[in-house]
Amino acid sequence: MLMVQLACPRCGFVIEQYGAAQLEADTQKQKRYQYLRKKQTLCPSCLSQTAKLEERRVEVEAGPQAELMAEAEAPPEAVPAGEAVAPTPLCDELERGPWPSHVTELKQTRYHMQMYEEGLRQKRTQWGFGGYTSIPGVASGILMRASARPDIAKGANLVRAFCPSGTFYSTQTFRALCDVADRHGYGILHLHATTCDIEVLGVPKEELRATVDELVAAGLDVGSTGDAYRNCQECIGPLRCEMVLVDSVAMRQAYFTRFLDDVQYPRFPHKIKFKLSGCPNDCTRSQQKGDIAIVGVFRDPPTIDAARLEGWVAGGGDIAHIVRMCPTRAMEWDGRRLAIDADGCVRCMYCINKCPAVRPGGDRGVAVLAGGKMRGKYGPLQPFVIAPFVPAVPPDFTEVFDLCAKITDVYDEHARRKERLGDFIYRTGIDQFCRLVGVPSAPQQMVSPRINPFYHWTPEELQASRKEAD
Amino acid sequence: MPGIGVAPMEANLPPIVRRNYGAWVWHEVIRPGVLKHVSKSGEACFTVRAGMPPNARVSTALARRICEVANRFCGGYLRITRRHSLELVGVAEAELGAAIAALREIGLAVGGADRTFHNIVCCTGWIHCQFAATDAPAIAKAISDGLWEDFQSEGYPAKLKISIAACVNQCGEGSTADIGVIGIHRDLPRVNDAEVAKCEVPLIVSICPTGAIRPKPPKSVQVDPRRCIHCVACVGQCVGMPIGDPETDGVAIYVGGKAGNQGSGPAFGKLAIPYLPNRPPRWPEVVQAVTGIIGVWTKGARRDERIGDWISRIGWERFFDKTGLPVSDKHLDGYVLWPMAARTGVRFRW
Repeated sequence: MLMVQLACPRCGFVIEQYGAAQLEADTQKQKRYQYLRKKQTLCPSCLSQTAKLEERRVEVEAGPQAELMAEAEAPPEAVPAGEAVAPTPLCDELERGPWPSHVTELKQTRYHMQMYEEGLRQKRTQWGFGGYTSIPGVASGILMRASARPDIAKGANLVRAFCPSGTFYSTQTFRALCDVADRHGYGILHLHATTCDIEVLGVPKEELRATVDELVAAGLDVGSTGDAYRNCQECIGPLRCEMVLVDSVAMRQAYFTRFLDDVQYPRFPHKIKFKLSGCPNDCTRSQQKGDIAIVGVFRDPPTIDAARLEGWVAGGGDIAHIVRMCPTRAMEWDGRRLAIDADGCVRCMYCINKCPAVRPGGDRGVAVLAGGKMRGKYGPLQPFVIAPFVPAVPPDFTEVFDLCAKITDVYDEHARRKERLGDFIYRTGIDQFCRLVGVPSAPQQMVSPRINPFYHWTPEELQASRKEAD
Repeated sequence: MPGIGVAPMEANLPPIVRRNYGAWVWHEVIRPGVLKHVSKSGEACFTVRAGMPPNARVSTALARRICEVANRFCGGYLRITRRHSLELVGVAEAELGAAIAALREIGLAVGGADRTFHNIVCCTGWIHCQFAATDAPAIAKAISDGLWEDFQSEGYPAKLKISIAACVNQCGEGSTADIGVIGIHRDLPRVNDAEVAKCEVPLIVSICPTGAIRPKPPKSVQVDPRRCIHCVACVGQCVGMPIGDPETDGVAIYVGGKAGNQGSGPAFGKLAIPYLPNRPPRWPEVVQAVTGIIGVWTKGARRDERIGDWISRIGWERFFDKTGLPVSDKHLDGYVLWPMAARTGVRFRW
């Protein structure tokens, strides 16, 4: 059948291929294809960065996947555990002290300790070029990295998998994960990377596909690399938290049901990290790192159980301190009665966290914020409020995810290559961004309305005044 | 692509969690590192939290030992928190002491909940990263060793989160934490013409956030020292742009980051110390600086004041005064969003 192949211009390795007919019919695949044609790709075979993948149209017979990286360099060898190794005085020093040591962990595996020792000795990384890449059949979930010290190691690759919801593991799943790391990797686990993905480090190139398949068999699908939706990191929510306002865990499951293709087939201008906290305590730090942050909120004021409060105070609960620490001074305590001024309260969760007699209101939904990131072009940005209240209705959370999809559609269409969502919003202006996404304006989107008088009017708005004048 | 997504959640949830899904009503930290959650039904769920090795690096050997403990005390379930601590969820009340001892036996201390030092979040650093300007795991180990006793008690005004990023990409999210350590390169990438010639120059030129990179015919690039912010974006495009420099790389210290909406609200950390040198393996200056800041905070903050809240109340003048840290032009923001950090008005403290 006729296949469309995309190959590395330097070494000729076919990175991805599609049935020509399939490509014509499937818009998701077309987007992925356009992405590969136009944006940077790291070739998994020669580890060179290119924006000029070559397209080939070839007739191929239906059959097994092409031989993986047949022309590649030899796979990185792992140091068998227990063999005599060169001295590592700096690493040894990091085994001293009471806190559990990462060196102790690494030494029990096939990781090349000299890479780390030399790094510490030279005060410089010994690792070379690499990055997220895709291999035939696995569009995301793999990072490859060469070594700058081929005398010690050739390189080290990792496979990244999604954690289960709540980051709970049965020991059966956990053991299966250990088995994969032992069989294909160094025997070291990363529990977890900071977007809450599992990583298995030390997988040779020709074992990447097998590692992926075995993780999937253990119930752990791979992805969360590259210019895609990443793992949605949620809070523990209804699994064990009394503060949770919306079902954060069900929402995260629904995210994967709806957006799995967007997670596993990178096609966006840059990465998109979703973080989902069930309440304003924001245990997932979504209001700091989320390209899209979803935070459970409530609109009506907190409720007070007077009888419970009396008991709590009698038992030593310091309500006076809580009242004093309310960030907007919305609370009053006269020694017998607690009152919360509904207008002053900003629903920050402080009093609710500290006193069991105060509970959140019942009018609950989520706020959707966008644009958080650490670096990008303008540095750390907190995400901006796009929609202060969206219903969060299980099982599909349609309103929330429709809004998220709209945000990323606008991003996909208008942003530059490798421009983070937050940088795009900064460059566009929050007013224009919200117009493009199609959300109504609300005071909750502003610290204050604008100061300058430099805002735009459409010809239609002006025409209305001209008509009146006539 | 495999395409199974995440497994149905029931596959990995302990029965106590499934029984009480969405029905929790209150919790307390009953002793350091031990949480007691109570559900509507009256059932109590005890969680034991333990610190994990830096960069969450766990050998399969330790992971299997953790499984044995989880089998013994939790019916075969375990959990990792959002700061990569280990949690045993659903330990029987009568077995709490034994669970703590069992974790101790495999090298893990119980603690890190509420008003104390929490498990450090840090990135990979020199273990596996090409961008790292410092080694985050070693710094995490050094700081954690010093706060080992604090981790297992609860004596701080509020929770203390320390995060360490080995470069400004901040996979280790230093800016998000009460005290953040961020690895910095301070000099330009050293352009290797022969290597750059093998790469695609337009990729290198376009990735630079400040436009500091221009083509240098015939097939290389040049970097403008007035514009380069040492952000490693170009390093990720071509092996011919190395930036790691043992003489000038180091770390910066930031304070006041937090995500919660209480107190002064969610915020990033602000620059406290512009540069401390890399001094492997234990970075004594960094440990000393961090410990010093903690000491001033614990003495001066009110109960429930995170570091950012405390500084909001006392002001930056008092912060630099009390910590004795010098102020220089490096603290003044000159990058794109600088008006957000520049003071107007004369409401000073002296």
